Order: sequence, then structure tokens, then C-alpha cells
Amino acid sequence: MKKIILTFMIILLVSMIMITGCAKEEKAAVGPVEIEFWTTETQSDRMSTIQVLVDSFQIMYPEITIKLIPVDENDMPTQINAAAAAGTLPAIIECAAENAVAFGSEGFLDSAAATALINEIGADKFYAGTLKLNSSGSGEYYGIPYHGWVQGLWYRADWFEEAGLNPPSTWKDIEKAAKYFYKPDENKYGILVGTKDEAYAEQCFTQFAMSNNASLFDKNGKLIFNSPEMKETIEFYSKIAKYNPPGPQTWRARDYYLQGKMAMFFYSTYIMDDLALQEVAAGSLTSENFKDLAGSDFNPELVEHTRLASIITNKSPAGFGVVVSLAMPNQGDPAKTAAAKKFLRYLYTPNAYITWLHMAPGGMNPVLKEIAVNERFQNDPKGIFKHYGKEKMAEIIQGLDKIETFSIVEGNRIAAASKIYSQQIIPQMLYKITQEGMNVDSAMKWAEGEMNKLAE
Amino acid sequence: MSIAVKTLSLKQREARFGRVLIAPAVIIIAALIFYPILYQMYMSFFDVKLLDRSVFVGFENYREILTDSSFWKAVFTTAVYVFFTVAGTTLTGLGVALLMNRDFPLRGLVRSLILLPYVAPVISVVYAWKQIFDPVNGIFMHLTVEKLHLFDERFNLIGSPDSALWIAIIFSIWKNFPFTYLMILSRLQAVDTSLYEAAEIDGAGGWQKFKAITLPEVYFVMGALILLRIIWNFFKFEDIYLLADNVKVLSIYTYFKAFVGTMELGTGAALAILQFSLLVLLILFYVKRVLKW
Repeated sequence: MKKIILTFMIILLVSMIMITGCAKEEKAAVGPVEIEFWTTETQSDRMSTIQVLVDSFQIMYPEITIKLIPVDENDMPTQINAAAAAGTLPAIIECAAENAVAFGSEGFLDSAAATALINEIGADKFYAGTLKLNSSGSGEYYGIPYHGWVQGLWYRADWFEEAGLNPPSTWKDIEKAAKYFYKPDENKYGILVGTKDEAYAEQCFTQFAMSNNASLFDKNGKLIFNSPEMKETIEFYSKIAKYNPPGPQTWRARDYYLQGKMAMFFYSTYIMDDLALQEVAAGSLTSENFKDLAGSDFNPELVEHTRLASIITNKSPAGFGVVVSLAMPNQGDPAKTAAAKKFLRYLYTPNAYITWLHMAPGGMNPVLKEIAVNERFQNDPKGIFKHYGKEKMAEIIQGLDKIETFSIVEGNRIAAASKIYSQQIIPQMLYKITQEGMNVDSAMKWAEGEMNKLAE
Repeated sequence: MSIAVKTLSLKQREARFGRVLIAPAVIIIAALIFYPILYQMYMSFFDVKLLDRSVFVGFENYREILTDSSFWKAVFTTAVYVFFTVAGTTLTGLGVALLMNRDFPLRGLVRSLILLPYVAPVISVVYAWKQIFDPVNGIFMHLTVEKLHLFDERFNLIGSPDSALWIAIIFSIWKNFPFTYLMILSRLQAVDTSLYEAAEIDGAGGWQKFKAITLPEVYFVMGALILLRIIWNFFKFEDIYLLADNVKVLSIYTYFKAFVGTMELGTGAALAILQFSLLVLLILFYVKRVLKW
């Protein structure tokens, strides 16, 4: 059965490409080239989907052979460094944009080729934020964004409408709504932001900080954590954290939203299938077992009533998420680079692109604006997107436009920022303030001390 | 050579044979226990780098730990945790053992049911507790706030830093008292009933019987149990980590230092050595003063 599907997909893809894109491309008359493609999609079902894409490409370009090699996301830096030392860098890698910038600034990547390809596709067709995360700071790009997930504030649009509140996209509106919906007597809560010392807290916090123009470092790598903007953000964050469910909370508390006990929560687009598919959601609920607990029944209309504020604004609009890029390490052989470019160009053709994105609906979102509203993209195999509709989908993916992180400042990757992230200093600080009652000034002083230790 | 072998006495030959027989065990213990301990000590003097050469730093790791107030906080938390869990487990175990030593219908069934928390896997029990005490969906808050009105508002019993340590202590007592109970009960059953009869004839009351007969009989079992419980709970990791990882006892503190975020393996090693030394001191004191060995 699987084989039949795969063969069918190959035929379908090849024929579509033959009809649409192929006619324009002239076939290079070079000899056979073999290149490696390192992907971070290591799961076997994803590997076989990508292999289908590779196979159909090779039918069109028989002189190019692509070897698909899975590499774990966390091993990518080690592997790339080792390959660079051995002179065996692959022609194409798929990795987080932050890694692309890191590899690029170490000089492993062919940024001219990447920039040329982006211009060929059309830089204005990309969501701007995704390109910014790959920028070298001097007009070039280290990698080409390919897919990404967006975080934002998911909220009950029906409740907001009933209460006459604005969508929660500015600080003022968020606070107002969180306060309005916080009714602990009825076991209902206003908002979910991370207050447990885990990465989730930093992810929520980053978006607020960015929207207030507060950064950890300037572009020269100088720590500028102790700023009025940062303090203001921390104060605001701890204020809205009061409208959380009781105690330290992390992403798991999203279940309270699915149960209709919470008005807003921060989450990535990975929640989309939980919201849309009853059987998936029911699996993470307990309503069947505790029927008499108030408000715990699954609500199939939840997806209709849910909207995402993917961009939050105070001083400036900010989005948060992770962008995965494709990059071309230096080959020293123009034929290989040309082959790699050809394959990448193919990956951005609508059919190949959508096939790729459908491997993880919700988790992998297009970075090209036109794909976000493409009919075929919205018709995913699990039937998740059709619950949302064209307009809402575009609104959700829109977050990619303003996406920002602490660790890339104007094309410079700040290594210490990544260390601060992995040491969870900001989550610990937020935990101290919101759970242990430490005052903002001493908590910031503590955090700054820890950050300085790491930057040494 | 062959002459020398012949001149060995039977006793010497037996001794040599004995050494050969225990050699595999010695080698295994050396490789799996002594080597890691020694390597850990060695590592504690280095700034360990995973991909690079480690740098010798002398006592720097130790100095850093001992001047860090969060370390002393962890020591204090561990002391509180160990004291209350050991006292709680032992006293609960003793009380239940005394109760179960009496005759009543269905005693066998009740005795085995009591063992359940001890034999149930930690992970499932922890998640059951988390469900029960969940601030929004848990049955505990539902009963105490909405049904019985004992509290004004819902709160996060397991998560909040104020209560987390005490919940971890209660959890440990609940989970481990059956073991203590089982050991004490088996000792109690070996006590000669004629002793109690004789005491009754002398007019001794319940408390006097307990103090003069029961307690001396179970004293050493309890002593050994307390010692074991101190050792086990001093290093306790999984229960606390799974239930409430914000209770920073020494083992959790060490884990976060050594393996989470930027890994400080040298500091982690030094912490483990310090923890080990603290425990050895505690045991020496205990064995000398309480068990009087």
C-alpha cells in the first residue's frame, strides 16, 4: 500500500513539474554530479516523503544524484564542524536559522549562492522576518528560510466579542482581557504565560521583550539587559502572570484552555491539530473520567471560536517562532553548487513545497506568502487547516513577518544569548518574581550577575 | 617454582584459591564502583570541557560551591527533607506495625494492601498525585474549596515553592513507610508473648509494656532502618524530581548544575563529592552515637 502511494506521488509530482516549471529551465549539459543533503527531519515517515521529492527531482535531472542523510538537530553543529575539518561538507543542509547564521559566520556557507537564489525566488515573496533571521548583516543571506512555526496568543474570540474587548495584540488589550476573564471563583483564568523555570517562560517573555524594544545584547555583543525597557517588560509580565492559573505554570496548562477554563494562552502553531481534531484533543483531556467536574467537556466548536494574535505590539510589533532554513555549505566545485541550487529551486516550487509542509501541518508553515493562501496547502491530509479557513490561516502564518530572537542582533549571532537561553536564567528570574515574591530589582540584579558569569 | 608450589601448606593453598575465586567480583567492583568514584574525585579538580582539553583548577570548584549561597540553601533543604522523611517514615511504620500486630478480621488482606504505595512504580504514583492536586482539575481542590469550603480559593499545592517541600516529604513518607512497617512487624512477631503476660501480672500498663518490652526489642531493627532511610533519602532524586523539581535538595541541585543548560561537569563532580562526604560524616556520627557499634 505504502509503495503504491509513494509511486503515485512520484508520478504526480513529476508530471506536475514537467507541465509547470520544467519547460522554462534549460538542462545543464554537465557530467554526473553527486551531492549530499543533510536533513533534520530524521523520522522515517518524513525521510520517505523527502526521498519521494528527491526521486522525482532525479527523474527530471538524471545527471544529478542526491544522497539524503538524516542528522539530528542537536548534532548538526558538531557534524558540520567535523565535516568542514575533513573537507567533506554536504552541498545542502536543513537547520534552524540560528545555526545557519552560526555556520555562516564561521565561513562554512556559500552566502552568495543563497542570496542569488533568494533573489531568483523574489525576496519580497518571503515573510520579512524569516529573511532577517538569516541575514549576514551586510546585505547577504547565510541561508534560505524554508519553514517555521509561529508562537502567539491564542484566544477565545467568542468570549472577547461577547465582552466587547479588542483582540489581545497590544499590552493594554492583553492586560485588560486577562483581568476581565480572571474569575478564580468560577475556576476560570485570564491567561497562560510561563512562570515555571522552563524554556516555555522564556519563549512567552521574549515576545513581550521584543515588542518593547528590550534586548539582551547590542550588536557588538555587549550585555544591555539592565535597561528601562527590560524592567518595564518584566514588571508587565509579572503583572499579567497574576491572572494565570494558580502556582508555577508551563505549557501543559494549555489543557485548561481546551477545557474552556482559560481565555488566552501562549502556544506555537503546533496546537492547531489539538484544537481542530476532536480525537487528538480528547486524548489529552480527562472529561470522560470526571464527568461532574465543571466545564471539562470537549467543545468541538472550539476551533471556530479560537483566533491567534501572532504579533504583539507595545513600542513595536513583535512575533516569535523558529525558522528552519536551507543552506549551501561551500563546495569548491561550481558544478556541485549549481546542482544544489537547482534542487533547492525545485523545493520551492508549489507542489514540492506543499508536499514537504504537509509532513507536519501546523508545525511547518510556509515562508512564502503565496503558499500560505494556496488552496492545495490548505487542504492538508489530516484535514486540520480547513477548520481554520483561508483568512485565519494567513493571519496565523503572518507572525513569521515580525519574528525576532534575542540571539541574532542585526546579523550577528550572539553566542552568549544562546547560553543564557539554555541556562534558563530568564525563566528562573521570572519564577523568583512570580512565585517566590522577589522584587523586580533584586531579581534583575541576580539575573544580570548570572548573565555576566556566562559572558565571561 | 614447582618446588615452591609444593611447599605451600593446605591453608595457604586454600587462601590462594579463595583469592582467585573472588577476583572476578573484585575486578567488577573496581571497574564499576571504585574507578567512577576516583575519576569523579579527579574530575572535581578540573574545569571539564566536553570537546576540549579540561583545565586543572585545583580547589576552585570547591571554593565556588562553598561560597555559593544556593548551595547552602540546598544543604538546608536536604537536612529538612531527610529529617522529616526519616522521622515520619519510621514513626508511621512503627505505629502501623503495632496496629497490624493485633488480631482483627481480614488482617491478612489489610496487611498486604498497606504495601501498595511501596510496590507501585514511582512514575505512575507521581502522576496520580499530580492529577489529584492539580489546582484547576484536581479532585483535592474540588473537594476542599467547592464542596467543603475549607479554603477560600484554589491554589497549587505541589507547585508552589512554599508547599512543595512539604508535599515532597509527605509523598516520601506515604511511599516508603510500608517498608519500615514490614520490617518492624516481622520483628514484633518474633517477640515472646510471655514477656507481655509477665508484665501484665506485674501490673504494667500499655505504655509501660511498650517502653519496657516492645521498644528494646525493635530498637536495633529501627536503628538499621533509620540508617538505611537516611542513606536512601539523602541521595533521593527520582521521587522529588518527578513530583516537584523546584524542591532543590542536593541531588536535584547537583543535577541542574551538572547536566542542564551549560553543563558544569567539574562543579557537578565536586558537588557529588561534597554530598558524599557529608553523608559519610552523618553516618559515622549516627553509628557511633545511636547504634553504639
